[in-house]
Amino acid sequence: MRTRKFESETKPSLVPPIVAGLVSLVLPGFGHMLARAFGKGLTLFLSIVAMTGLWIWRVRLEARREVDFLAMFQKSIQLRPILLIILILIVLIYLWIAYDAYKTADKRKKPKSGFLWLLVFISFFLLGWQIGEIQPATLITEGKNSFPLLSRVLWPWEKAIYRPEEYLTGYAEVVIPCTEGVELEPVVVEEGDPVVTITPTCGNLSEIDGDPGTTLTMTGSGFLPNTETEIWWIDQVQNKFRHRAAGDYVKVTTDENGSFSLDVVIPYRVIPATNEEGYVVWRLQGSQLASVGEPVPSEELLLAIEKMIETIFLGMMSTIFGIILSVPISFLAARNLMSANKITLAIYFVVRFVLNIIRSIEPLVWAVIAIIAVGLGPFAGIIALTIHGIAALGKLYSEAIESIDSGPLEAINATGANWLQLVWYGVIPQIIPPFVSFTIYRWDINVRMSTVIGMVGGGGIGYLLVQWIRLLDYRSAGIAIWFIAITVAILDYVSAEIRARFV
Amino acid sequence: MLEIRHLTKIYDDGTVALRDVSFSVPDGEFLVVIGLSGSGKSTLLRCINRLIDPTEGEILWDGEDLAKLKGDDLRKVRRHIGMIFQQFNLVKRSSVLTNVMAGRLGYTSTWRSISGQFSQKDQQMARDALERLGLTDQTDKRADELSGGQQQRVGIARALMQEPKMILADEPVASLDPVLAHSILQHLERLNKEDKMTIICSLHYLDLVQRYSTSVIGLKDGRVVYQGSSADVRNITDAQFKSIYGEEAERMGGIVGELTTEEKGAA
Ligand SMILES: Nc1ncnc2c1ncn2[C@@H]1O[C@H](COP(=O)(O)OP(=O)(O)OP(=O)(O)O)[C@@H](O)[C@H]1O
Ligand SMILES: [Mg+2]
Repeated sequence: MRTRKFESETKPSLVPPIVAGLVSLVLPGFGHMLARAFGKGLTLFLSIVAMTGLWIWRVRLEARREVDFLAMFQKSIQLRPILLIILILIVLIYLWIAYDAYKTADKRKKPKSGFLWLLVFISFFLLGWQIGEIQPATLITEGKNSFPLLSRVLWPWEKAIYRPEEYLTGYAEVVIPCTEGVELEPVVVEEGDPVVTITPTCGNLSEIDGDPGTTLTMTGSGFLPNTETEIWWIDQVQNKFRHRAAGDYVKVTTDENGSFSLDVVIPYRVIPATNEEGYVVWRLQGSQLASVGEPVPSEELLLAIEKMIETIFLGMMSTIFGIILSVPISFLAARNLMSANKITLAIYFVVRFVLNIIRSIEPLVWAVIAIIAVGLGPFAGIIALTIHGIAALGKLYSEAIESIDSGPLEAINATGANWLQLVWYGVIPQIIPPFVSFTIYRWDINVRMSTVIGMVGGGGIGYLLVQWIRLLDYRSAGIAIWFIAITVAILDYVSAEIRARFV
Repeated sequence: MLEIRHLTKIYDDGTVALRDVSFSVPDGEFLVVIGLSGSGKSTLLRCINRLIDPTEGEILWDGEDLAKLKGDDLRKVRRHIGMIFQQFNLVKRSSVLTNVMAGRLGYTSTWRSISGQFSQKDQQMARDALERLGLTDQTDKRADELSGGQQQRVGIARALMQEPKMILADEPVASLDPVLAHSILQHLERLNKEDKMTIICSLHYLDLVQRYSTSVIGLKDGRVVYQGSSADVRNITDAQFKSIYGEEAERMGGIVGELTTEEKGAA
């Protein structure tokens, strides 16, 4: 009896080589089929159809404003020269297929198709490159734009503390314009507050396109030393604006004694007096931003800590629920315990099947379902991670049960022990190490996962992180990322320690 | 007196491991079962204490048919049959003491055994057994921290806790080197001679068989192909041994009856 393989190798082509080649020029791959290389022909046919289709799609996409295809082609080649290379490759492959078909149909020659397959691979690779919009150059040229952002994420701690700040102000009054008989009440200065004096105590406004106003000499003392001080105009009804000179805000820096002296030209903006007396009293104020008291943790830091704790407990609670529910299930999913008769074996298969399905659905999807059921918040996250955890732990636990050594069980059975004694003395000591190990592993996963779950609204720090990123508050996001990284690192360490102790 | 009558075991997959095996073991005997790998030695021993259910036949022990026992009755009988194994079958992560106490489970209520409240008498018994086997210093170690010979002695101590009338030993020395093998078999010999326990033991090496057995049965493909008394066995030749055993038969070697200093201390 000859084998099938042997037959197909020796059976001659249905058509002469030249026909196979010509058929291939009309329908690539069909020449091979006629030459009894059906699988190869079909693969080549599907490959070239797929390549051409993808290429047309990309050309249309790159030049979608153009009307006819030729214009599209030209435009897209201009924009993306790689499309031309792909086209050349496709044509090359097309011709090569015909040549290969010719060779295949000729039974004296064995075609060497390695290079053809390489070309097919390369053109799919280039198509993938184009479809994936891969641009390594952009990564290098534009990548540096992300550095300021990255640096904020990597070192966000300026935002972690907050210094309560207060304005330290001192002012004196000016009468505008100078009016006979107007006496200014002396400014009441409390002990320790800055003192400002102005000479003269009255003056005229600048005119637009005209004379500059009166130059006042403003001196201040009792301010913070070596600190920038802003100058403000404030009227009796608390209208205020900042003093400018030549268009720029005026800032003066105090000397080491906390004093300054400055010439102030009364600007035209100061509203002319409209009251019956015909004058307005303006305050000229020096004001410094001063931190008062000790630095305190910022709101963002506190929030991040709060949510990190929530995340850890979210992970912990879902692990605990996962353990409680998966331990009994794992016994049902352990083949060595369930193969006693057909009914238990059927239960085993059903449980395994359900566990596999649950496990194959991502926790993120479970989170979305749970959010619909119970609303946003950590409870939804706990439900999602518990469900996924039951399936994952159920599988791991049951495999641990399946792999226990049956020797000790036999020995304990031989002493006349009953079933419970057998489980307590023979099964449990053997499954504790893997159970502990898998449980910690799961806790680890659950904490990591809960940061992701938070992103869709399942509670925990993930939600915060996403919000901060949306608000472009990269410093706060950085704090959250640091916390996640630190927690995961600690958890890694702790779980390794516990595992080393139990296993 | 143990009487095996027409014992047959056919496994679920159709393997016939024992075919119509019959023999009897008077009390106080040290019966050695020999036979090639796959000849059915383990199956035979496990049928006696019903770790394996025989397909057919009777196992009469002092007139009671063990093959018919179920549930509590079976457990009650198992208490009087100790068993030791080639792979020791200790719970590796439990302490030596816990492993030894496990031999007492058949006599202890479920609740007491799960909460670890063994009676004073049981605890004294465990101390005695450990002392007898030279394991006093190892009591609190984990079982897998012990050497092979020590682990097998723990196995014997566990069997002793059952206050057995009979001990089944399935190749108890096959995982041990010659000196340790003699040490373990001498422990069994002492139980046989001093405590009058019946021992049924499968062994591979002719010199060990000759040294320790008081009678021998040979199995081949699940059938009894040789039965001999103590005297017969002493006179058995290598050639005869090979006819039962096939070409693989060999002597263990080593110095029969002499212990190393370490083993003396332990014994
Ligand atoms: N659980 C089982 N299911 C099916 N067949 C089995 C089973 N256990 C043992 N057998 C078969 O029964 C026969 C006897 O096996 P048994 O273990 O009793 O031999 P043995 O003499 O103890 O061999 P060894 O010296 O290798 O331990 C062998 O053919 C073996 O393959
Ligand atoms: Mg065996």
